Amino acid sequence: MIKKLKYIVDWILLTGSTVIVCVILGIILGDIFSKGASAISWDFITGLPTDGMTKGGILPAVAGTLVLTLITTLFSVPFGVACAIYLNEYAKPSVFTNIIRASIRNLAGIPSIIYGLFGLALFVQSLRLGTSVLSAGLTLGLLSLPYIITTTEEALKRIPNSMREATLALGATQFETIKDVVLPKALPGILTGVILTMSRAAGETAPILFTGVAFYINDVGTSVNQEFMALPYHLYMLSTQHQAIEQVRPLAYATAGVLILLVFLLNIIAFYIRYKYRTKD
Amino acid sequence: MLLYNSAAFFADVKPVDFFTGSQWDPESAKGKYSIAPLLVSTGLVTLGAMLIAVPLGIFTAAFLSELAHPKLKNILKPFIEMLAAIPSVAIGFLGIVLVGPGIAKIFGLANGLNALNGAVLLSVMALPTIITISEDAINAVPQSHREASLALVANKWETLFKVTIPAALPGLIAAVMLGLGRALGETMTVLMATGNAAVLPTGFLDSVRTITATIAIEMGEVPFQTTHYFALFAIAVVLFLITLAINLAGEYFVNRLRKFHA
Amino acid sequence: MLISCSADNNTIKIKGSDTEVNLAVQLAESFHTFEPGIFVSISGGGSGLGISSLLNGTGDIANSSRSINTGETLLFKKRDIKIDSFIFAQDAIAFVVAADLPIDSISINDLTHLLNGDYKNWSVITGKDMPVNIYGRQSNSGTHDFIKKKLGIDFSRYAKQMNGNAQILEAIKTDHSGVGYVGAGYVAHGGMHGIKVLSIYSKINEKSVSPLNARVIASGDYFFQRPLFQYYKAGSFEKIKPFIDFEKSDLGKKIIESAGYYPVNK
Repeated sequence: MIKKLKYIVDWILLTGSTVIVCVILGIILGDIFSKGASAISWDFITGLPTDGMTKGGILPAVAGTLVLTLITTLFSVPFGVACAIYLNEYAKPSVFTNIIRASIRNLAGIPSIIYGLFGLALFVQSLRLGTSVLSAGLTLGLLSLPYIITTTEEALKRIPNSMREATLALGATQFETIKDVVLPKALPGILTGVILTMSRAAGETAPILFTGVAFYINDVGTSVNQEFMALPYHLYMLSTQHQAIEQVRPLAYATAGVLILLVFLLNIIAFYIRYKYRTKD
Repeated sequence: MLLYNSAAFFADVKPVDFFTGSQWDPESAKGKYSIAPLLVSTGLVTLGAMLIAVPLGIFTAAFLSELAHPKLKNILKPFIEMLAAIPSVAIGFLGIVLVGPGIAKIFGLANGLNALNGAVLLSVMALPTIITISEDAINAVPQSHREASLALVANKWETLFKVTIPAALPGLIAAVMLGLGRALGETMTVLMATGNAAVLPTGFLDSVRTITATIAIEMGEVPFQTTHYFALFAIAVVLFLITLAINLAGEYFVNRLRKFHA
Repeated sequence: MLISCSADNNTIKIKGSDTEVNLAVQLAESFHTFEPGIFVSISGGGSGLGISSLLNGTGDIANSSRSINTGETLLFKKRDIKIDSFIFAQDAIAFVVAADLPIDSISINDLTHLLNGDYKNWSVITGKDMPVNIYGRQSNSGTHDFIKKKLGIDFSRYAKQMNGNAQILEAIKTDHSGVGYVGAGYVAHGGMHGIKVLSIYSKINEKSVSPLNARVIASGDYFFQRPLFQYYKAGSFEKIKPFIDFEKSDLGKKIIESAGYYPVNK
């Protein structure tokens, strides 16, 4: 009897935990979308802020986040993929490559605010790029590199060696093998990693705090040397810095909603690619 | 670069004061640079987060790998990955509008911007990491272990708690370590939710200011190349070393798990 | 490179005081319809941040709710940067409490003891036994600095450091025994349920003065009032001139007034 009771307690413990985790997600999404949905509209996404940011839209923040993510991707993907190809295809396994891999994994664990400090010291100050969308994009690029390298390497590892050997045996060089056989085959995996990294970069706030994000800019920027608005920072600002916090709360909810939608959209695309790729194999 | 800047700091401030003083107040006339209140704050919030996230995360992982129907699992796993994808400022925002007022109501406080709020939010952020890695660890326990245990007339539950979980222990520790690393380094959530008073906290209901929040608040304002500027790099290095140690420990346990099952 | 440089010249970066940031945003919004070719980007963060950004070369105009201090002057001298300033409005600091706290005015002396932590309980002032909760700003805030200097105190160590004026109001609204300070611009336009702005007097039997009274501010009689500065590098005046001119225009003055500040007539 006591034993049976214990099983029930155990069952409740495990199932209960899982239910709690799901409920947490439900609360987060439920709260944000129930209170933000009414304010989200096409005009909200494509309008300029007005009346001291108590009304109007968030176009500069949306545009800023998109440009920022683009710069991040342009910087981190070529470097990251090249680095992964080197590690997986060219470098012979040795103590040296193991150290590099370990360092890359540890880079991924560094708090993002430290990347922000580093970006400030390197891009803003030493390289004199100033506080700009370029500095911020490069900082986020650095933060993204380890993820791109790790996911790309994993994708490359999944390609069976027999395929490489077959191509080499047909007289192709190693470069041709990689370019024509390995990379196309690994592309879905790499793409998944890239998109997930983009979604992470779009949601980051700490690294851009000192490297170029602005409270307000009066129009969509035209140059990479300008400061910019970004969705996550805009949400931070609306919820802690604005003078009429209660008045702008619906805007804050709506901004959170747009940000989460954007991030989820990227995630769903990544899931879809991964799913399609898996079923094909 | 981090090291260079913090070396410049210790040229100005004695390391002893840095670690043992009780006040962080760089703006005061004397310039008090003590990391102690920040470390304690960081520790308190992270500890709280782990107290919530570790049992919740490991039990959920056990549920997913041992109890859940594969179909249910296929639905739940993307859900948990979704949770991981939510940006930290969105979680911090909820700390202000939802969790904070909730805590204030429950404990009869004036406002809920305190260590407990930060801990609850950070636990939400650490959960996906802990669940995913714990689940991998539990899955990696060979089926033969379980069968052997079941054959010895132990039932499903005894097998889970007495055989499977202990066997997965290194992986579970790794999961906790990596979750811990995530919670320690989180900035926006704690910046928004913990009240940011730089005094030694006495409990979970005190307002605290973590290392990450201090950097975020003060970095923008300091003139470059001053003692205060270098001080922020110094606390960043401390944070860096702590997260590095935790990640290395996590890695060590992951490797042990691999060897164990190889 | 050339193209990007010239584009950079079209952006005026304004940084600094949170007290001034919302005003600056409103000015920049109208300025945009007036002069669409010039971008204005604005960040808050505190007066210290603004002045640092001039030093660091990351900003063009530093909004500051205090005058530049000797340490900062020294740093500018060290780097051989010449700066100029411009006062564009007057601000008054309002002390706020919950509406149900049984006082309407407070002496400067009592306020000093409240904020430096001598009075941990309201009983000395109101006769009611309630703990004093102070809601202040972070040390990088010009408002924080201004009160500290004006009263000659160090703030109580238990003063909560809030992220902005708005958070302070939010907190006071729910805390029946809280006291906080915000720019008068934040409370001037009503709509603030549950909050009361205290009048200030320096001696007993003297008339107490409210920060919401424009005439008093114009004559400079409120104890906690101050000019709002904009600092800029002397070398970059040409670049920021259009914006400064706009602030001095009638439309600019109107915006300053409607935001709860007092324009300077010069």
